[in-house]
Amino acid sequence: MATLKEKRTCGQRCEDFGRFVWNSDTGAMFGRTPEKWVYISLYYVAFYVIMTGLFCLAIWTLMYTLDPYTPDYQDRLTSPGVMVWPPTYIEEDVILSYNLSDKTSQRKMSNCLSNFLKPYNDTSQQSNHNCTKGEYFKQEKFEAPHHTKYSCRFTQSMLGRCSGLDDPTFGYNGTTPCVIIKMNRIINFLPNNGTGMAPHLNCTILSGHENIDMIEYFPTNGTFDLSYFPYYGKLAQPTYVNPLVAVKFHLVKEREAKIQCRVVAHNIAYQDSYEPYQGKVVFLLKALK
Amino acid sequence: MFEMNGEVDVKMKKKKKIKKKDRLEGMKKEMDIVSVIHKTRRRESWREYGLTSSKAAEVLERDGPNELLPPKGTPEYVKFARQLAGGLQCLMWVAAVICFIAFGIEFSRGTLGCFDDLYLAITLITVVVVTGCFGYYQEFKSTNIIASFKNLVPQQALVIRDGQKNQINAMDLVVGDLVEIKGGDRVPADIRIIFAQGCKVDNSSLTGESEPQSKTPECTHENPLETKNIAFFSTTCLEGVATGTVINTGDRTIIGRIASLASGVGNEKTPIAIEIEHFVDIIAGLAIFFGFTFFVVAMFIGYAFLEAMIFFMAIVVAYVPEGLLATVTVCLSLTAKRLARKNCVVKNLEAVETLGSTSVICSDKTGTLTQNRMTVAHLWFDNVIHAADTTEDQSGQSFDQSSETWRSLARVAGLCNRAIFKPNQESLPIPRRIVVGDASETALLKFTELAIGNMMEYRERFKKVVEVPFNSTNKNTLMLSVHELEDPMDLRYLLVMKGAPERILERCSTILIKGQEMPLEEQWREAFQTAYMDLGSLGERVLGFCHIYLNENEFPRGYKFDSDEMNFTTSGLCFAGLISMIDPPRATVPDAVMKCRTAGIRVVMVTGDHPITARAIAANVGIITEGSETVEDIATRKRIPVEQVNRRDARACVISGGQLKDMSSEELDEALRSHPEMVFARTSPQPPSSPPLIIVESCQRLGSIVAVTGDGVNDSPALKKADIGIAMGIAGSDAAKNAADMILLDDNFASIVTGVEQGRLIFDNLKKSIAYTLTKNIPELTPYLIYITVSVPLPLGCITILMIELATDIFPSVSLAYEKAESDIMHLKPRNPRKDRLVNESLAAYSYFQIGAIQSFAGFTDYFTAMAQEGWYPLLCVGLRSHWENVHLQDLQDSYGQEWTYAQRLYQQYTCYTVFFISIEICQIADVLIRKTRRLSIFQQGFFRNKVLVSAIVFQLLLGNLLCYCPGMPNIFNFMPIRGQWWFVPIPYGILIFVYDEIRKLGVRRHPGSWWDQELYY
Repeated sequence: MATLKEKRTCGQRCEDFGRFVWNSDTGAMFGRTPEKWVYISLYYVAFYVIMTGLFCLAIWTLMYTLDPYTPDYQDRLTSPGVMVWPPTYIEEDVILSYNLSDKTSQRKMSNCLSNFLKPYNDTSQQSNHNCTKGEYFKQEKFEAPHHTKYSCRFTQSMLGRCSGLDDPTFGYNGTTPCVIIKMNRIINFLPNNGTGMAPHLNCTILSGHENIDMIEYFPTNGTFDLSYFPYYGKLAQPTYVNPLVAVKFHLVKEREAKIQCRVVAHNIAYQDSYEPYQGKVVFLLKALK
Repeated sequence: MFEMNGEVDVKMKKKKKIKKKDRLEGMKKEMDIVSVIHKTRRRESWREYGLTSSKAAEVLERDGPNELLPPKGTPEYVKFARQLAGGLQCLMWVAAVICFIAFGIEFSRGTLGCFDDLYLAITLITVVVVTGCFGYYQEFKSTNIIASFKNLVPQQALVIRDGQKNQINAMDLVVGDLVEIKGGDRVPADIRIIFAQGCKVDNSSLTGESEPQSKTPECTHENPLETKNIAFFSTTCLEGVATGTVINTGDRTIIGRIASLASGVGNEKTPIAIEIEHFVDIIAGLAIFFGFTFFVVAMFIGYAFLEAMIFFMAIVVAYVPEGLLATVTVCLSLTAKRLARKNCVVKNLEAVETLGSTSVICSDKTGTLTQNRMTVAHLWFDNVIHAADTTEDQSGQSFDQSSETWRSLARVAGLCNRAIFKPNQESLPIPRRIVVGDASETALLKFTELAIGNMMEYRERFKKVVEVPFNSTNKNTLMLSVHELEDPMDLRYLLVMKGAPERILERCSTILIKGQEMPLEEQWREAFQTAYMDLGSLGERVLGFCHIYLNENEFPRGYKFDSDEMNFTTSGLCFAGLISMIDPPRATVPDAVMKCRTAGIRVVMVTGDHPITARAIAANVGIITEGSETVEDIATRKRIPVEQVNRRDARACVISGGQLKDMSSEELDEALRSHPEMVFARTSPQPPSSPPLIIVESCQRLGSIVAVTGDGVNDSPALKKADIGIAMGIAGSDAAKNAADMILLDDNFASIVTGVEQGRLIFDNLKKSIAYTLTKNIPELTPYLIYITVSVPLPLGCITILMIELATDIFPSVSLAYEKAESDIMHLKPRNPRKDRLVNESLAAYSYFQIGAIQSFAGFTDYFTAMAQEGWYPLLCVGLRSHWENVHLQDLQDSYGQEWTYAQRLYQQYTCYTVFFISIEICQIADVLIRKTRRLSIFQQGFFRNKVLVSAIVFQLLLGNLLCYCPGMPNIFNFMPIRGQWWFVPIPYGILIFVYDEIRKLGVRRHPGSWWDQELYY
């Protein structure tokens, strides 16, 4: 075996590299003559133009097949998520904490809620349909103007003492703060599988039982009225608003509690530990002195 | 990994050198003890009788076999650790540690999904350990294969025991044995010479002295290393013969004491090792470069340090071809097995690849190209030349044997012959039987045995009365014998004679024509002359045969014939005919030479024979092709002096040893360049300037990769000098076998062609496997590129990349090692190792920027499909990243107004990983199919011929399904059960890859040398 044992010196390597950069014998630059560089570049340009064209064609075909009103699949959206407002996080946990003696912290919370409720004010909701409560509002056809479907009216005032109309501080100036619970909207989702039972919110105290005196729900019983279901999508119902439930907690003693609010319905799951906001929300409510 | 081994080797070598010197010094002192010992051991061994077998067995029992215990190699655990701590593996370890740290930090924070990092770390470690185990197992296996090869060529020793000469395994020698050595043998143990005739020993393996040492029975020096009467184990006897008693065996021999010397056979890096190292360097460089770039970009965009580190790690892992080393080892051990089946022993597996790039084979004639046995080729009687059957298995045509003359000729040939078959060989076919006698008599004996039948019995019938053998001292070129006739009534004696044709003719006055004695007139003399010339020009050895019935009256029964006085008629005989003999080429050789020629390999013949014989054989086996002329031929044809012939017109050239000696190296280079068909004849095999060596050097100067075949001691320098030395297993001397890289157990030239084919196959298959492995780097990299630049949700996760690299794609990449050779593999020119690298620019460019690009497009199409069908339109995805990855955002709206929690988005992201993974898998199936061939259409190669590859594809699909649909996968490996139709989205791209590559191959085949070929053939 005597193959290729020759050791090349650094000088030879440099020389080889130099010849690679510019080979005066063949007129090649970096291994190709300028002419060949042009050819190969053109080849690649053509290749990528064609490939991009095919890709665009594929995407166009994909878009062409999609229904603009409903998605093809809702594999991930079998059960709606639930979230509490104001959504103030510390690290991974939702912690609603305010200071009884600090107006700014109170204002932060109440501002958040009033901003959140802006789409729900009476003027905004004026255009929406006043639906019959207690039953699904199913619309087969596009009867609303501009080829849309009607959306049901949900006004701020339905939230009673948590509407912020009477008390713009939402109770954050004292020990009775309001939180608003929103259930995510999913197209064609019918709570309780269309049995006609309305889903309702149920808040339980996970820890700090002694610190909560009373829980009030608005609307009464914490019901999400059936008339807001099903949702027909952004294009069919551009003015749709999610139904809300507001909860007023009466804090006593330590004024701190960990609370879980769950939307109760047969077809709303809540036990998956990998999906902490599925069908429920857990938060810590804290009123500091 | 390779680098590491290399360094270790270098260090070890240095250490050994130092030790060698020290030890040799110590040795000289130590040997004094030995000399004392052997003086006291003067016993038990008689000059003729030797040891008794029982005594030998007893001593063998006591001392153990005469072999060097293998030096304490690297301990097994170190070998295993080395597999775990190679360069690439270290990268993986670092990655795993990063993951652990990330997990620790995130766990302490209680982050959601922190277990991902833990799983990733565990996966990484598992991979390193599993590939480490596999590598270790393969190394273990191939070491065993090579070790078993070593046992296949055991050293033999000629030992005298119980007064009989026996060929025994050198392992069974014991102290006191009487052994004979001759030129070419390796000294089988330390021996004290008691008889020597012109014996010279090469001690270079022991002392480094390259000058041959002559050995005589006299003790000339106190120091055993200096004295002339001791020959050492493992040294080589160059010439002469010697007899001696064994004084030391096994590890007690001098060489055994310097164990490191015996094992110090350097592990030179083979071309394939260099290629792979080159490739690993490039890949590691690229991986770190890209990883670092992404790391910096990620940091710049605002990722946490840890996350950025994970990107870095993912890219490094994506780039490292984990399956490559497995593929290389599988390729090599597969080849070893195949070659062993073809009776080729490869000492160093990687040498096979070198054989694949061979462009010149310098072949010995005797035994390699020819059968190494004289055989009757032609007969001339009745004024016609008849051709005899020279095939090894007597499958050829025979001539017309009805003539009366033929009977007489056969009788002369059979009777005037001293050769005899060794007894007890009746079951063997005649050509294979062992004969005692010289080459031409053997040929005649076998020939007559085949033609007439039982010769031994035939000779019984014609009782021999007297015989005058060939005698070189009194220049008697004739042999004659006188026999009684088989018919007891006929009392005449028959005198039969054979010898050099012209001498025979001198003694004849008549000639047998069709059984009739005719006077030997001028016309017959001319006919004889023509036939003699014709046969001679075929390079054959011609013998004349004649006989005479002695006059009954002059030589009655009981006449005292005297072989010295020659008191009988020896002239006026009746000429019977001529028989010519040749060492015929092996049946497989012409075909093999033809194959070499189509494979662009020159076969150069080197032989000690006469130029005419050499030329005839060369023409016979196709080394000189039909219609090729030498300078001399042209001169004769054109009737001009040799000097006037344009040397370039002659394709063929026969150079004799004398001419070679007078040529300068430039002249030889020129001759090799201008004549494609070269034969070197009458070469005197004297080192150091032996002709093969000069020829090899000249070929190497011309840039060829040279393979040399040889069997003699004098061939070993050439075997060493050659890029690959091939020794003959049967005829080869130990010295040649030691110097060679490969041993042909059946001495068959055709096996070399198999070796070449296997060598090329290894290179091709490695290239295919690497091309396959490289391709997927791009579809693994582009998701990150798009993710960072266009801010779409991440299409492909780290663990998914790992799964592609380590689980689904390893088996297919290894399966390419099982791919059969493309049918035109032996029609291409040999590769130029200096230019045609394993991984070249066009391979990388084609894999990365064309096939890899198509795969990326496939992945993104499937990604956008999965996203859009679940509610996220492509345009919405662009720039979505910061919202998408916001852990605190639980109601992100999709294109339909639906609201998604973070966890739902994360599972959607896993779905994307999975569809991207599936896209890569589907495209990789197309990729592995197109990689089956580099030039030919797959339809020519066959889809299902490589069963391993088919099962690899099935395995890949099953594993893909398992990862997708096994419960629990989403939270462990981030795989989601995806909808069936998403498997089909990438299929058009797979078909596109297939069709595009078929077009590429078509262009490459149709237009060799074109721009298309240059740019797109890898």
